[in-house]
Amino acid sequence: MGLLDYIQEQGVNTEGGTLPAMGEVVLAEGAKSEVWVNPTDSDCVLGEQMQRSLIVVHRNNDTVRLNFDLAQNSVLKVVQVILGGGFVECKVNQQADSRCEFTTIVLGDAIADYTVDLNGRNASNQLRGAFIAGGEERQRMGVRVNHMSADCQSDSLIKGIAGGKAFGEFNGMVYVAQDAQRTDARQTSRNIEIGREAHIVTKPQLEIYADDVKCSHGATVGQLDGDAILYMRQRGLSEAHAKRLQIDGFVRDIVLPLGSLGEVLAEEMTAKLELL
Amino acid sequence: MLTVKNLHASVGDKEILKGINFEVKPGEVHAIMGPNGSGKSTFASVLAGNDKFTVTEGSVEFMGQNLLEMSIEDRARMGLFLGFQYPVEIPGVTMANFMKMAVNEQRKFRGEEPLSAGEFLRLMREKSKVVELDSKLTSRAVNEGFSGGEKKKNEIFQMAMLNPALAVLDETDSGLDIDALRIVATGVTKLHTPENATIVITHYQRLLDYIVPDYVHVLYNGRIIYSGDKSLALKLEKEGYDWLINEHKE
Repeated sequence: MGLLDYIQEQGVNTEGGTLPAMGEVVLAEGAKSEVWVNPTDSDCVLGEQMQRSLIVVHRNNDTVRLNFDLAQNSVLKVVQVILGGGFVECKVNQQADSRCEFTTIVLGDAIADYTVDLNGRNASNQLRGAFIAGGEERQRMGVRVNHMSADCQSDSLIKGIAGGKAFGEFNGMVYVAQDAQRTDARQTSRNIEIGREAHIVTKPQLEIYADDVKCSHGATVGQLDGDAILYMRQRGLSEAHAKRLQIDGFVRDIVLPLGSLGEVLAEEMTAKLELL
Repeated sequence: MLTVKNLHASVGDKEILKGINFEVKPGEVHAIMGPNGSGKSTFASVLAGNDKFTVTEGSVEFMGQNLLEMSIEDRARMGLFLGFQYPVEIPGVTMANFMKMAVNEQRKFRGEEPLSAGEFLRLMREKSKVVELDSKLTSRAVNEGFSGGEKKKNEIFQMAMLNPALAVLDETDSGLDIDALRIVATGVTKLHTPENATIVITHYQRLLDYIVPDYVHVLYNGRIIYSGDKSLALKLEKEGYDWLINEHKE
């Protein structure tokens, strides 16, 4: 079942509607989540101690700016799926002790840009993303995390796959301001190019002005892992099956922690991978 | 079951296997020992069909068929299992899902119906007991975050699931502590029947305390230079390979 069927089944209009809340779904685990389909420029504001869970689906080719404001001690979980070919810009502004878990899947011919400002002590941000580009698509993802305050944590993991003649690009930046001591920041970009005509460029960068920090970044662009394919074939899977499984697993990894919703997203990704 | 005649194999220009003759019958356990770099792992890889190695001469017959003409997956489906020295991690693919696909591929090859979800779960529960595999591991990605011991147990668990005619275990004992070694080796012994066969590749005699071989072969410089019964392994443990290698040079 695709993501749109999944949310439509729960009575949410998949063409979009009017904010603030276009609809709501209940996940298999019992948790409730707001759903935004095709939002225009919007703000998502969380007061102190507030918790909010959001599924955002972009189906059109619009330019959209989304602002997420997290007051002290608030918790925000966002799952974003970009199916269209627009420009989606997200700004996350976090105060002290707030927590944000953001998962984003880019399947359309889109540009997605994320800026995270950690403005209060002990704020934490986790961003997990995957982009899958096929045909002649050009996808770009930018992630900038600004550590403006001390004792904050950020962890970004972005995985990219390009097949056909597609081009993918990841631009990462972790900025640590002078006062942001004891920052703990990680940024990882992992990519697979399928075939000779697909390309992915990745640029993770660090800019650090504090002296007591723990920062790491890493980036790889590779082909399929021959050892893993050999391993799977030795257990009886065909070469084509083993390759498919590896590619599928590579991005499925991003959504596995999301439970039943993750399964739905994984199906969505598999469908796109089959077209590569 | 397996007949290897004058097998030569190279990687690039370098010849590693220089004429191996070897025969395995159902019900037998063979141990292959030998110093580092003698070609033990290459032999296992060539049997499995790893295309890093080129077979330049000789023949291998498995279950009455020409093994060297078969794809890696068809060898596996015919009942050849390789326990990897370094099991590979596959992120995002759960162990249970992987095994379900592997078991059903092999069933399809034999013209059998795929297992239902219930049958598969029962099989998995039963077989994970063979090596005391923590059932939580089957819901995790293949080998990802597994300890060294868990990875090796997981190899034998897969062997139990797939029930191969011939298992080639490439240094399954390396990197195991004493308890894990006992569990892994006892697991292999439990899986042994008069219909199947096992080739154990090892450096150490200690594994053979549990898996008692019918034959012990010494591979050196790409050839089997000496074969004996299980007492050979004890002698090698005590005296090393030098006496054999010197004898071979003369």
